[in-house]
Amino acid sequence: MYRKYVLKRAAYGILMYVIMIFVYSTLFNSVADRTMRAQIDEQVAQEMLRYKNLSPDQLKAVSDSRREGKLNQYHLNDPLVSRIFWRSLRTLGFDFGNSTIIKASTGDRLVIKIILEALPRTIILFTTEVILVTLIGVAMGLYAARRPNGGFDRVNSMITMITNGLPAWWLAMLAIMVFSYAVPLFPSGGLHINPAPTGFRGLLDYLWHLSLPLLTLVLLGIWGTAYLVRNIVLSNLQEDFVMAARARGIPERKVLFGHTLRTSMPAIMTLAILGLFASIAGNIIVEGIFGWPGIGNLYFIAVQQNDVPILMATLAIETLFSMVGFVVLDIIYGLLDPRIKVGGKA
Amino acid sequence: MNLRDSMESLRDFWAEFSKVKTGLVGLALLLAFVLLGIFGSFIVPFPGASSHWRDITFWQDNPQAAPPVWVNFFSATKGCPSTTLTKPTVNSQDEGNGVSLETFVFTYAYRYDLPPRDMVIRLKGTGQVPVSITVERPDGLSAEIYRDQLQLAEDDVQRVSVSRNCAQAVIEFVRGQNEDLASTMSPELIKPIGILFSKLDTHVSDSPTPVKGEYKITVTALILSSDFKLDKPAISISGYVSGLLGTDASKRDVFTGIIIGIRWALIIGILTSVVSVIAGVLLGIIAAYIGGAVDWLLTRLYELIYLLPVLPFLIVISAIFKPSIWTLITIICLFFWTGSFKTVYSMTLQIKEETFIEASRALGSSAWRIMLKHISPILLPYSFASMALSIPAIIVYEASVSLLGLGDATIVSWGQILEAALSQGAVINRLWWWVVPPGLMIALMGMSFAFLGTALDKILHPKLKTR
Repeated sequence: MYRKYVLKRAAYGILMYVIMIFVYSTLFNSVADRTMRAQIDEQVAQEMLRYKNLSPDQLKAVSDSRREGKLNQYHLNDPLVSRIFWRSLRTLGFDFGNSTIIKASTGDRLVIKIILEALPRTIILFTTEVILVTLIGVAMGLYAARRPNGGFDRVNSMITMITNGLPAWWLAMLAIMVFSYAVPLFPSGGLHINPAPTGFRGLLDYLWHLSLPLLTLVLLGIWGTAYLVRNIVLSNLQEDFVMAARARGIPERKVLFGHTLRTSMPAIMTLAILGLFASIAGNIIVEGIFGWPGIGNLYFIAVQQNDVPILMATLAIETLFSMVGFVVLDIIYGLLDPRIKVGGKA
Repeated sequence: MNLRDSMESLRDFWAEFSKVKTGLVGLALLLAFVLLGIFGSFIVPFPGASSHWRDITFWQDNPQAAPPVWVNFFSATKGCPSTTLTKPTVNSQDEGNGVSLETFVFTYAYRYDLPPRDMVIRLKGTGQVPVSITVERPDGLSAEIYRDQLQLAEDDVQRVSVSRNCAQAVIEFVRGQNEDLASTMSPELIKPIGILFSKLDTHVSDSPTPVKGEYKITVTALILSSDFKLDKPAISISGYVSGLLGTDASKRDVFTGIIIGIRWALIIGILTSVVSVIAGVLLGIIAAYIGGAVDWLLTRLYELIYLLPVLPFLIVISAIFKPSIWTLITIICLFFWTGSFKTVYSMTLQIKEETFIEASRALGSSAWRIMLKHISPILLPYSFASMALSIPAIIVYEASVSLLGLGDATIVSWGQILEAALSQGAVINRLWWWVVPPGLMIALMGMSFAFLGTALDKILHPKLKTR
């Protein structure tokens, strides 16, 4: 029964992903076509340099046939719907082609390589952030729920409402202004000092560069998470089984950690998993401000430079991860709450 | 529901609302914001600023990147604030033959340790007007800093800047007091304005001692015929400190920008949230009540949009369409209706089964009537709470798009002020008065709506649960 549920969810997720890719292909169709034609022209012109002993007429004939061949290979001479279809298919196969301007640090123009270079950096910063925020947030939320309307609870909900409309990037600007320029404790951005140190010193240097962005994001993120966890736990504390447990004389600590935390787990896991998978997209502005060359930064540079292949690939990968997040979430839900997997029959 | 009933329920609501302290704080803040949004342009020091925000000449008399005036309280050396002197004592002396001698005397009380950055005398008039400008210092010395014949077209304005136009004259003034000192000065290297306000000793160039007291600035003009004239001049003193919140690198007054920004933040926030919540509520009701294919389609649409990454999408679309604030609002609406859709959907599924709906259907009401007359009023309180709660995120999205330089260039928003700050090195140069206030305002406005929304939620939620 559970396996069927998992398969169904996964199939549904894949279907949604395919639809999204089609949406992207349609949106970027004309720009992507233009980029691809320009790339083919460039490639053909490059090839023609090799044919030295041909007359101009022959050269033109060869280059025309090469170009036609390429255009047909990428289905660029097809009608609109077919072009969109083939582009979606290529994107679904992770064949994102070459970028127009942006290069990987090795000089490579293969989009997938550029993305794979940026992805780990984003994961190190933002995924670490989400993990830290969830751990600290759950601890703080539980602490606040122990004494609702107590001192800590009030402070927490107050700070949550203040940080609610606070742009993280503004805090990042302030953090850099204070801790990099006024009191130079941390570097103002980047991955490492130049030239990059190696070995253990390299690691320390990396951590040093990581700390200001990470601290800023974590200090901003924990409050909201704690507040949500507190709400979830509090609403579960109203349940009858909690009262029954208390009546049986089970110590409050055990009621909180044993009974309430277990039932609150699906909701808390939602927060954590959605955050975890969304973190892979990075944060366009925060990465820009801290000069952290991850996915978000790459995306923004791609927008500015009009590098459509990179743009589409980044969007596709971000969507893929959030889709996987949703599916994983549903599957874990089934594990944590047995009522769900039977297909909604409570 | 007649008027008396609604008045009564409004009174009940207020009685409950006034018990929630944070809600009252939020309401007070919001009222302040609304008032400032409406009347803000009358209280700002630069009233025309909203249409001249990117006009360099509008701001040219301001100092560049000057800290706020109140930093003087916290520092031992007091900087001179920016001011404008507009009310001279006028004296007109008839010299016969239609010739008259006009003198305009400004008094300026200077009590600061750091001299102004510049002093600009604006002369507006017509024709050929010989003008001389003299500064009389509290220590009895008097310097003629400018003497020229103005060539003015009809109602032309000539700006005399002490830093740029008066260096040679200031050296001559020093020469009259101390020949040796003057011989060490060259017009390119001195700060004329600093010398004018300092003791003429050997340290006047490196560590000047200010001469405090009342300065008299006299503009004398000879009006040679009745065709020529010189209006009352005005003096802009561009200070070491300036305005309530200082100035930015383009000489713009930050306080003015902040106040003008309120209006746009309110418009964007409220308009977007109202439209998107109404759309979300209506679509939620329709999907749940009608069901079937409509339900399936709307739910799929909801899932699709829910999965789209908002900010990347906003950025792409703003980059494609040349951004106007209205397209931005439309796009944010397209994303934000999903916020209330799912909750309304599940609430409607419950309400749909209630007996009064059944009764209404038995009486032959159409589906539209039931949805609009019976279901949506029940969801109204929820809608208000969710409108208030969605506003902070909307304001942050607008600011984020603006920060990336993709905002509407015809308006002034806090995000755009921060974008200028970021791109013109406010962070590196620690111009905190340019970075802190806009972000603080975004946070404050977000907070006021969050307070309001949570208070509404607290009051209305139990009612919804009992249903």
